Amino acid sequence: MIKWLAVINVIGVLLMILAGFMLMLVPYSLFIASGDYDSLALSGLITALTGLLSYFSTRKSNMDIGKREGFLIVAFGWLAISLYSSLPYYVHGIMPSFTDAVFESVSGLTTTGATIIQDIEVSPHGILLWRSLTQWLGGMGIIVLTIAILPLLNIGGVELFVAESPGPTSNKIHPRIKETAKRLWLIYIGLTIVLMVVLKLLGMTFFDAINHALTTMATGGFSTKNDSIAHFDSVAIHYAITFFMLFGGINYTIIYFMLRGKFKNVWGSEEFKMYLSVLVALIFFVTIGVYHVSDLGLEASFRQASFQLIAMVTTTGFVLSDYTAWSPAITIVFFMTMFIGGCAGSTSGGIKIIRHLVFFKNSILELKRLLHPNALIRIKLDKKIVRPKVLTHILVFLLLYLFLFIVGSVAMTFIFQDFDTPIITAIGSVATSLGNVGPGIGELGPLDNFAKVPCLGKWVLIFLMLLGRLEIFTILILFTPFFWRQN
Amino acid sequence: MQIIIAGAGAIGFHLAEVLSKENHDITLIDTDEDILTSVGRQLDVLTIQGDAASHKVQALANLNKAKLFIAVTTSDSTNLLAAIMAKKSGLKTVARVSNTDHLDPASLEKFREQGIDELISPKHLAAEEIHRLIDRASFTDLFEFENGKISVVGFTIDGDCPLANLTVEQAYQLADNFLFRGIAILRGHKTIIPTLNTKLYKGDHFYMSTKSQSLELAKKFVGKQQKPIKRIMILGESPLALETAQILEKNYAVSVVVQDEKSGKRFINKLDNSLVIISNPSNIDALKEEGLERMDAVIALTPNAEINIIACLKAVELKIYKTIAMVENINYIHISQNIGIDTIINKKLVAANSIIRLVRKGKVEAIASLHGVDAEIIEFEIHKKNRLLRHDLSELHLPDRSIIAGVVRGEDSFVPKLNFQFEIGDKVIILALPAVIHQLEQIFK
Repeated sequence: MIKWLAVINVIGVLLMILAGFMLMLVPYSLFIASGDYDSLALSGLITALTGLLSYFSTRKSNMDIGKREGFLIVAFGWLAISLYSSLPYYVHGIMPSFTDAVFESVSGLTTTGATIIQDIEVSPHGILLWRSLTQWLGGMGIIVLTIAILPLLNIGGVELFVAESPGPTSNKIHPRIKETAKRLWLIYIGLTIVLMVVLKLLGMTFFDAINHALTTMATGGFSTKNDSIAHFDSVAIHYAITFFMLFGGINYTIIYFMLRGKFKNVWGSEEFKMYLSVLVALIFFVTIGVYHVSDLGLEASFRQASFQLIAMVTTTGFVLSDYTAWSPAITIVFFMTMFIGGCAGSTSGGIKIIRHLVFFKNSILELKRLLHPNALIRIKLDKKIVRPKVLTHILVFLLLYLFLFIVGSVAMTFIFQDFDTPIITAIGSVATSLGNVGPGIGELGPLDNFAKVPCLGKWVLIFLMLLGRLEIFTILILFTPFFWRQN
Repeated sequence: MQIIIAGAGAIGFHLAEVLSKENHDITLIDTDEDILTSVGRQLDVLTIQGDAASHKVQALANLNKAKLFIAVTTSDSTNLLAAIMAKKSGLKTVARVSNTDHLDPASLEKFREQGIDELISPKHLAAEEIHRLIDRASFTDLFEFENGKISVVGFTIDGDCPLANLTVEQAYQLADNFLFRGIAILRGHKTIIPTLNTKLYKGDHFYMSTKSQSLELAKKFVGKQQKPIKRIMILGESPLALETAQILEKNYAVSVVVQDEKSGKRFINKLDNSLVIISNPSNIDALKEEGLERMDAVIALTPNAEINIIACLKAVELKIYKTIAMVENINYIHISQNIGIDTIINKKLVAANSIIRLVRKGKVEAIASLHGVDAEIIEFEIHKKNRLLRHDLSELHLPDRSIIAGVVRGEDSFVPKLNFQFEIGDKVIILALPAVIHQLEQIFK
């Protein structure tokens, strides 16, 4: 028996937390007189009321959360949060339709960063801050936050944590999941504040600094400027954001070890080393490419190449330069970077380095197995054997990811049939949604806006973004018959 | 408190489960990665794979921050070595041993010098538990608090018991000559803390607290008459059987049934007054020949849980007054209790519970674990300035999952009614689920 009441109860708590963040913005909105306090307040109240109602009406139920309830809480929790976070947009009327409001909210929460808003700079600041805040909450995960601050998820905490946090591994840095979640969030908050101060010192306005700090650390990519980061004509700001995006793509457990001075653990992580190596190699070649095809100087080529590559690999999706404008070869490289992703346990989306690492190691060892049919050959990662179950899980993930990409591309090509370059645009939009990156290629490139996607297309992309953020399995399992069977 | 547990077997797992639910931070070390993976899925603990008696693994486990090191692997030498090494980080150490030689006072003293604070032998503890159960045979469980001023007794509600199919409130009304409080019901796997409306069913294991003076009345009331135990038959040639026989033969007439002559000789060597019988413990007819029907108690201690359970069921059929079966498979415990065997002994649970008691020592004054019940009996003293003073009991908001078993005031003791008021110096005995123990500590602080 699925304990629906327990699921509703926890989702009620999630909504109350969400409402807390909405209402937190009301005084700010009043203070800067951006004229949107009423929509924020109304949305906050509706969310809070729903949350309170679902929490208190189910408070006395059996809270024994099992595996099924865990998956349901994460999947439906995210659905509920997506819907309620879209309320400020919808109530305010900044979005032309309900679909658009949900798209913007899911794009935020999943840290994708694809936007519908045509002219961001004239939008009310309260709403824009809410938009950045959704990315920040979605980055580390609102359920992880709930585990960190509330005792009520004690029982099913482990399962929820694993289901929401990105990547196939979950390294505990403390015996208690609650304490682990707390430490991760503290690092996250700390880095965000540091970046905010840095950006303010480098000349951004307070409003821009806080928004960009929130969306950089979440590796989200919402900007308060129409031209994204290209708007800021400051080399220092470019490098600062590059550096912090790089941080956002690192496993937070590794960052924890860095802060504790345990560099042996940091260098012991093959994924971390691979992450840096991949970036160095990509930056090297793309810098040379950009230097050749454009009239930029060497520093500018390096800066633009590294910013844009790190923005793509960490799935942030900020835009400093239009990577589709340099050359077809560079465009295809950037398209491919959408499939890399950061480290497991970071705020980034995508496939993640660790899965590529395991995949390549296994492929090479498969060749070795051909040569030594009787040998016992196992993959090792960080000097530990990758267990066959984990290996299968990773390979299945890769195949499912590829499969979803193909099916999604076909569907989107149908939807985009009136476009000039439907195929390119479709595969770009699917890759960017599934990987939670932001900008695509073709007619949905870095300088374009997702408003032109037809309504049905938006819903497909919404689904893909949620699939990507929750790492496919958590959502897909709900569509299997055995999930709903009584045993 | 940070606690490191070496060994994720039955004892280690049970400890980790109970202690992590009580808000301790547990790190569990084991060599078997498969076990650790499955533990990691079930419990909120940190797992480390490796040999607990290696410096490398101990460094990983962050011993400096921990307060307690519990070594409960299956190997005595690993446990002893790991505990001695861990002591260097200045924490309290507990090691499990199966060799009872280590428990000599002289040996204990030597180990203490080397850094092992407590030695735990599951076998020895189980033998003591059996001894205790036989001594108090009319109820299957009996605990005394404050030198016996308050007692908690547990018994299984059988068909003849007048409490069957009554609510707790009706049971209170039925007992007109003494006061008691129903504090816990063990029904299958579940531990229930009863309210007035909770109904009692046949097969429930019911725990009640009462003033010790009323104990005899209580026994009459629930339909079990005390019968002095004289003759005991122990089945099996396990080390526990030998140790139990050694303890019991001092006060009772003991027959021990062993499989083969070789074990028989070993037993005769160590036993002075017991009768050693060579027979198959599952062959009831042969046992009848040796006087099974005349026994007052049968204790089945073969390594095979099924044989023990069946032998005890046969004994119950023969109207033998007291039956105890050793069941090492934890999954069988609740089933066997439900099919009518009086008492189950599990060495690992006995050991784990005694370690849990050690962990809590110092924080709370006296403590007992009810066998198989997911709750603890704890004792608090009412201090000056406690905000519980000067209020009726009915006005106090004590946590839902706890119940007051009794209050001791000087030489007097009470089973408190709703209008009861605490006084300074009162000792309150409470049964509470692990989840609310911390809350209670706050309240009584």
